[in-house]
Amino acid sequence: MRSSKLMSLKDAISTYIQDKDLIGFGGLSFWRKPISVCREIIRQSKKKLSICTFVGGIEVDMLIAGGCVSEVRSCFVGMEIFGMAPNYRRAVESGVIKISEESEATIALGLRASYLKVPFMPLKGIIGTDMPKVRDDIKQIEDPLGSGTQVMAVPKIDLDVAIIHVPYADEFGNANIAGAVWMDADMAKTAKNTIIICEKLVETEDIRYLPGKAQLPMQTTDAVVKIPFGAHPTSCYPFYTFDPLHIQEYLKTDFEDYKEKYIINKTPAQYLEEAGGIQTILNILL
Amino acid sequence: MKEHSKDYTIDEMMTVLMAREVRNDDVMIVGVATPMVWVAFTLAKVTHAPDAIYHYIMGNTFVLEPRQVSLLYHEMNTARAYRFQNSVECTLESLPSDKLTTIEFFRPAQIDQYGNTNNICIGDWNRPKIRLPGAAGILDFSMFYSRGSFLYTPRHDKRTFIPTEKLDFISGVGFPNGKASICGGSGPQCVITNLAYLDFEEKSKRMRVDSIHPGIEIEELKESTDFELLFTKNLKETEPPTVKEIRLLREKVDPLNIRQLEVLSGKEREELLDEIIQKEMAMKNRFPKPLG
Repeated sequence: MRSSKLMSLKDAISTYIQDKDLIGFGGLSFWRKPISVCREIIRQSKKKLSICTFVGGIEVDMLIAGGCVSEVRSCFVGMEIFGMAPNYRRAVESGVIKISEESEATIALGLRASYLKVPFMPLKGIIGTDMPKVRDDIKQIEDPLGSGTQVMAVPKIDLDVAIIHVPYADEFGNANIAGAVWMDADMAKTAKNTIIICEKLVETEDIRYLPGKAQLPMQTTDAVVKIPFGAHPTSCYPFYTFDPLHIQEYLKTDFEDYKEKYIINKTPAQYLEEAGGIQTILNILL
Repeated sequence: MKEHSKDYTIDEMMTVLMAREVRNDDVMIVGVATPMVWVAFTLAKVTHAPDAIYHYIMGNTFVLEPRQVSLLYHEMNTARAYRFQNSVECTLESLPSDKLTTIEFFRPAQIDQYGNTNNICIGDWNRPKIRLPGAAGILDFSMFYSRGSFLYTPRHDKRTFIPTEKLDFISGVGFPNGKASICGGSGPQCVITNLAYLDFEEKSKRMRVDSIHPGIEIEELKESTDFELLFTKNLKETEPPTVKEIRLLREKVDPLNIRQLEVLSGKEREELLDEIIQKEMAMKNRFPKPLG
């Protein structure tokens, strides 16, 4: 029977995220990142999380600064055109967090291995790079079927939780991503629990008329939370672009001050007020 | 008759050289935080390669239409105007195909004489002096592309151009020890820098100067490279941008000078970034202008 999976942000995070979980974040770089969830994770002081994301940005940096992270699995963590991610850099250089060096393919194939229930996937990339030297769970092997071809065996990635920000979802967890899907559907499929954050709650019928329909079907969704502008300061196509002024402010502000102003005891509405209110919304709306 | 420009900047020279590498049947990969590549591909689209197809990592889409390069609104083009859309898995499966003549420009933080590159860290990986953002798909694709990989950097200096033993991490495969990768790709084809256009000598696979940009001395080039450079027999001056190429760049493809963000640093870069953001936020129509 279909049942509503609507939850509050607070309940979704406290129910589904435990300390030390491996959490997959959807989106890419400054596009469609579930930042409202990052703020809630910091508010709930979750600890020793492993973060897996395809291309990471401000979400990884913020969670590290918030003291929530012990390991990062990503093929790129940066602030796009705004430069390097300062807290990520500092944490790696001082040895505070662990890195699992990844490429695009080790993440894509690792997630695929997980939902296909095989221990590894073969990959022809990476051979000749230094990556195997820092990843003892990746091995160069010869084709076991006898062609003589050398391939890399890339291990599965079993996520505890996937967190995906989308423009449209229904209360049962069918979700539509109007733009690029990236790794999000794979993360939702393989994670033990999947939390969907949506901009707009629609009826199931409406999803059938959206391009791509339900890229994330309700069977892979455990919780649905509605938070308009919940990806801010990253983008959520087709509604708004990323907020360059906020990202610049983030980079210039000491994180403790940032946390005080934008995170601690802030409702989504108070957050938007602090972030510039209506003027900011008009700036970023497409 | 081609009329060459007498008034061009180094970012324009490099962008034009990158654009000239594009062929009409190419799939052009546009990655993250590399606006110069995007500008170069768009210039190619509006000059000699109208049928080339963009592949945007920002949208994971294949896009035909060239539009003015934008910082804030690229999703209006990359996510929306797609011909067909792939999941990342499909991208990983389709890009190595020999049926797609893929062109991708990588910008290395370090590069050795065989075109092996590093975008991971400066210093020891375990406790790096500088942790760089990462190498993303370079780890997967540098050894793969049938058309080879293409390299560029606006920082031709001894920190970037270093001998193999000083390379802190190999995250992009060139010609390891002067040999082709066993993965079957064609390897690095060229290195476009602020000083010269370099390629790789056929036999030794070592980096070779093919042409020097106007106004640059051979000595300066040697002093900016921490390994011995080979020189082609008929060393020439790089063909400068044409008046038409410069006009297209400045008026149509990238009037906001977004490409310069890759060349500038410090305060100058911050000021340009602020200027671009202000101009783009003031735009009423947020669809980047279609070109051609």
